[in-house]
Amino acid sequence: MLNRRLFMAAACATLALPSSGFAAQGLKLAFIPQENPEKLLGDIKIVTGWLTEQLGVPVTGFVTFDHAAAVEALRNGDADISFMGALPFVLAEDQIGAIPLLSEVYRGQPSYAGRVFVRRDSGIKTLADLKGLDIAFADPVSESGYLYPLDLFVRDGLIADAPDADNFFGQKFFAGGYQQAMQAMANGLVDAAGASQYADLLLTPEQQAEVVVLAESEQIPSHAIIARPGIDADLQSRFTLAMLRLNDAENRHLLAYLYGPDGYVATDPAVYEGVRATARRYGYLK
Amino acid sequence: MKHLFFSLILCLFPIAVNATAIEQAPWEPRAAAYRLTLFLGNLNPTPWDKLESSWTAPVPGSALPVSALSRVTEVESADIREALRTKDRQALFEASTTAISGGILRHLDAAETALGTSSGAEPEIAIAEALFRAFEDGIAAADASAAKEIGRAWLVLNSSVGSAGLLGNGIEDPNTIAFAEAKSTISDYVEQNYLLAEFTPRSKLTPIPESIFVSGVQVDLPATLPPGSDIADQREFPRLVLQFEEAGEDEANLPLVAYGDMLFDSPEIFGGPAQELGITCSTCHNRSDVNRDFFIPGLSHRPGGMDVDSAFFNPMFNDRTDDHLDTPSMRGIRFTAPYGRDGREPSLRRFVRNVIVTEFAGKEPTPFQLDAMVAYIRQFDFLPNPKIDRAGLLTDLASDAAKRGEVLFNTKFAGLDDKSCASCHTPSRHFRDGKTYDIGTAEPPFPGGTPTAFETPTLRNVNFTAPYMHDGSLPTLASVVDWFDSTKNLGLNADQRADLTAYILAVGDGEEPYQHFEGTDSVFRLSWEELTTFASTLDTLLPAQDAENIALLVATVAPDLAADASAMTNQAAKPDVYEFAAILRAVGVASAAGDWHEANRQWNAFKIRQAEIDERMF
Repeated sequence: MLNRRLFMAAACATLALPSSGFAAQGLKLAFIPQENPEKLLGDIKIVTGWLTEQLGVPVTGFVTFDHAAAVEALRNGDADISFMGALPFVLAEDQIGAIPLLSEVYRGQPSYAGRVFVRRDSGIKTLADLKGLDIAFADPVSESGYLYPLDLFVRDGLIADAPDADNFFGQKFFAGGYQQAMQAMANGLVDAAGASQYADLLLTPEQQAEVVVLAESEQIPSHAIIARPGIDADLQSRFTLAMLRLNDAENRHLLAYLYGPDGYVATDPAVYEGVRATARRYGYLK
Repeated sequence: MKHLFFSLILCLFPIAVNATAIEQAPWEPRAAAYRLTLFLGNLNPTPWDKLESSWTAPVPGSALPVSALSRVTEVESADIREALRTKDRQALFEASTTAISGGILRHLDAAETALGTSSGAEPEIAIAEALFRAFEDGIAAADASAAKEIGRAWLVLNSSVGSAGLLGNGIEDPNTIAFAEAKSTISDYVEQNYLLAEFTPRSKLTPIPESIFVSGVQVDLPATLPPGSDIADQREFPRLVLQFEEAGEDEANLPLVAYGDMLFDSPEIFGGPAQELGITCSTCHNRSDVNRDFFIPGLSHRPGGMDVDSAFFNPMFNDRTDDHLDTPSMRGIRFTAPYGRDGREPSLRRFVRNVIVTEFAGKEPTPFQLDAMVAYIRQFDFLPNPKIDRAGLLTDLASDAAKRGEVLFNTKFAGLDDKSCASCHTPSRHFRDGKTYDIGTAEPPFPGGTPTAFETPTLRNVNFTAPYMHDGSLPTLASVVDWFDSTKNLGLNADQRADLTAYILAVGDGEEPYQHFEGTDSVFRLSWEELTTFASTLDTLLPAQDAENIALLVATVAPDLAADASAMTNQAAKPDVYEFAAILRAVGVASAAGDWHEANRQWNAFKIRQAEIDERMF
């Protein structure tokens, strides 16, 4: 039986143009919005300009409304490539057969974790101590800023599933980002924060000394650069190689225009197995 | 020490109290202009040209390269422009405060309208919150309960917008009731404190809420620097050459020097805003050289210096002149007396005292503290330069062009009063002569007045001290040669000017001008080694039961250790540093209590722990 993923891949393959056609059209990149969308527009110009030089074909970029819009753009051919987190990637993989090409590297690793942070002087020693207390997460669709920190409570048997969190915590907030969640915790507005592994570095050095890690999740593959199925194989390969050249000393300054990783490594679908399992447990994947 | 230039810290708050230098997150353009207005508006005299450009042009520290006025309403813009035109400080405060508060309310309204729509409320909330940041530290300092209530309201606001979910999963509808309540909490406070028909006149412009200001309650508002300020270390970190170290001696064996090194890195010796902001000697004089990234909008005309006698750091010594000074390098300073551009201080000791007390409002340093600082500073050597010998003559490593230039450098010119360049920049005296001259670079202070004469600067390591001349008016050494050629009628042709430039570049060179960090040889490792060396002076201070200097050392080193941990490559070892810093604090507590047995016990624990964790400190 043709499942949805294979069907979409087959459909895209059927519609795929010859290689020369792709080269003429160039490459279209979809960017996921960040905190400063206007700055992102400027960044995209710089990045696509560089890629155009490197690939010898026109490279354009645009900011999508959200992950769903990016996946839709990949599905209908409005985008060839998209930047995407690990969880939306496995959903995109499921829905349209998206292909992972590259993974961001931070502090030498292509993966990171979600953590639960508390103030050093809070007296909170275990996740169970947070029953009835307030927590700030980053965003309801964030892996390291919500799902994975929340999963720590599930694994400890403190909550049954995501909706049950409201029965465990006093109040559960979504602060709007890692930094906002961490500041809310550090400033005493809430008792704990669920955020990414290095979110404490978003606090002042003085605040960092006053914060401790209560728990850490399993590793999550870093944000990925993914391609739509049916993308011209040669162009995909050249794009991947060009992106890997961002690791070279003379190009590293361009990383600041790409969400600021330390670099990129090539990735493959196997590293996302843990994310797929988590997505299935929370009903994101059937 | 403040070595956080490689860290990724983006602080939402302004650079503030006792903060190790960190990079601020970019500001919303209006908020950036507002905070710059508060800072500039408190300088004396008021720099109206800078105030105007802070609203009409993009400002440093702004998230976007647009003017703040492009983001306000026509009415708000007209009010701000009128205040600028009439140079009415209070009116500018009121108009700009109104523009920020009005913007917050408009974006909150827009967020409410966008709830549940495809465009979403989040972008509008983000802008409203970015504008609110302009007031945030004022509320936190003046009205803690309101700050907490409003902080929670922002959390509720962000949490009640619902979620579009992730590709069809986890869709949540907005909670319009919770949103409206939270919005009301924020809006009401903003309206009551920042959106008023009339404000009480303020002698000092601050973001303190009007209701608290009117009440007369004394508010301890932390000192802050405006958006775009950069007081972190230079990204390309200068190399420090200490004479004893190059000769193989360990600083830990030289307690007076080590203590002076600590004082050079201590904000505790300064007073006022400098101390609050964590500014130290090394903030500007990175590793005996210069921090050429240092920049404070309003005080600096360009990176690498500032007006040190403005109204900000020490109002008592405000000279009411916007006179930016490029920070001088301190390399080889023991050989370059007298001190100050005009050579006004013959003694290094007096010059150091002047910086502490006059420029940065510190208490009078003790004789011991001055002894220590001078002992340390006197160890600064020039970067070694194999292109010259000890007499200042070119070696075989210099180019032919430089050697031709050496002849020109020693040639007498009529335009130089029948002297040569070498007459003042004497090669055998480190290319200076210790005298002051009026060479026509400064204007008289008034018609008929006497222009300032400037001390002959050394040419050692001059390749790394651009821009040149007392006012930084010449960007390159070639332009300096051109300036002398034209103003002193030297009559040099292009080849000769190139040769003379090549000569100066040869004598001004230096080996390995910048520190190299790689792997475990990290920025934090350097801090770790320095800070533990500073602490080693306790081996001398504890037997002497010198509680005063122990307190100063602990107040400097313990917070720096903890703060610098945030820049560790090995983040996993960060908790070790916090624990280690706590042991040092315990030494300070026991010393202050006169419990010398406990102080010594904790000091021994410190040394044992240092050895245990040393390997992972990078």
